[in-house]
Amino acid sequence: MPLGTLDRSAPPFFKQGPSARSTLAVLTALSLLLMVADTRLGITPPIRAAVSTALYPVQWLALQPVRLGRLGSEYMATVRSAQSVEDIARKGILQQAQRANQVEELLLENRRLRDLLALRQRLQAPEQAAEVLYDAPDPYTRRVIIDRGQLQGVALGAPVLDETGVLGQVTRVHPLLAEVSLLIDRDFSIPVLNVRTGARSVAYGDPAGGGALELRFMPGNADVEEGDLLTTSGVDGVYPAGLPVAKVSHVERRSESAFARIHCLPLARTQGARHVLVLQPLGDQMPPRPPEDAAPVENKRRLLPPRVVPTP
Amino acid sequence: MARSPQQLLLPVNPVFIWSSLFVGLLVALLPLGRVAWVPDVLMLILVFWSVHQPSRVGMGIAFVLGLCVDVQHAALLGQNALIYTVMVYLGVSLQRRLLWFGIPLQAVQMLPLFIAAHLLQTLIRLALGASLPGWGILAAPLLDSLLWIPISVVLLAPQRRTPDRDENRPL
Repeated sequence: MPLGTLDRSAPPFFKQGPSARSTLAVLTALSLLLMVADTRLGITPPIRAAVSTALYPVQWLALQPVRLGRLGSEYMATVRSAQSVEDIARKGILQQAQRANQVEELLLENRRLRDLLALRQRLQAPEQAAEVLYDAPDPYTRRVIIDRGQLQGVALGAPVLDETGVLGQVTRVHPLLAEVSLLIDRDFSIPVLNVRTGARSVAYGDPAGGGALELRFMPGNADVEEGDLLTTSGVDGVYPAGLPVAKVSHVERRSESAFARIHCLPLARTQGARHVLVLQPLGDQMPPRPPEDAAPVENKRRLLPPRVVPTP
Repeated sequence: MARSPQQLLLPVNPVFIWSSLFVGLLVALLPLGRVAWVPDVLMLILVFWSVHQPSRVGMGIAFVLGLCVDVQHAALLGQNALIYTVMVYLGVSLQRRLLWFGIPLQAVQMLPLFIAAHLLQTLIRLALGASLPGWGILAAPLLDSLLWIPISVVLLAPQRRTPDRDENRPL
């Protein structure tokens, strides 16, 4: 057996480079620093954007099997099933046609009435279609990745809808991709309006189980019933008003607690959504906030004209 | 304890190491959905090379690959980087003991390491206010250590070829 065919070789005579422990210490400190910067300081988006862009070709390669599988399954769908789907869609369109015509008329009427009353016009958000590439594999959050990013004009905080309701909000923007936090993410909250009663509240994400929403801090005698539809209230300056969000699924009133526990199910498909609509956040169109007075209240009082003492 | 007979291995091809790491990265980037019990193949390949070729695969490459996985998984930045770095360190330090065992016994010895890795990950996320992902996460270290066996067989196969080919004995 000639030399050079064995894996075993003598260890390096002079140790080269830093020791394993010091490397470990440096890299551990670096990753801890990154974690803190990611959660508290918010200075990591450039790092994420750079890594994401560098990784894009590899990711594209990894997505190909999935895309091929989707294409294949769509190709194998028979003509009959396609025809039946088309039938259903046509019937749906017919049913919606009358309502859609009414909506046009109502919109016109609404605009005229608002003009009459000198009210501000409802905000319209420009939209953009996007495709969901994959669910974020991180099991601790509920996010999806869409195929539109900064270069396509997706803004941070943009609302994301699917065909049935609000799906979530863009929480991270990379140059070519964007991350969308779903409604049911633990850190998610959305201001909603109960369509039946007109009461406003805030729904919080609740990822336990299949994922749901919860209306917190509603008093025990609040007028909420199962089946109530919740829509966006539009007070936040992010979501346009009137988009369907969730349906109340379960109301729990307990005598020992001052608040009712109200569970809601999101209307949008939080699992398996493929085509979504990304709106521009309304913040740019909102009227500017009134300028805040720089002077605190005490100073204001001091600025009042001195009281004139009436002369006797 | 009976020692398993050790085979004399051929020198490793660096191209093979790098291409196996690239395949591991591809597997990590596969969109498998949000499933907690999916074993981490990239971590397995990294630990495998750190055990078998500690002078070639070190903590630096583990850190970089971990960052890539973090960004793609939309996870906390630095979370997988930390796990991979610690695992490669443990792999290098356990290397001299581990190679005395056969591959199935190595898998048993690696199990506590994988449990520690997943525990560390969960603790970090819980400390930063995430919710528990469900019981499926308990299966991940078990699957990791079961996968150690096929991965060892596959990644050592090129080094187990004969140094000089014999037409009459193809193996």
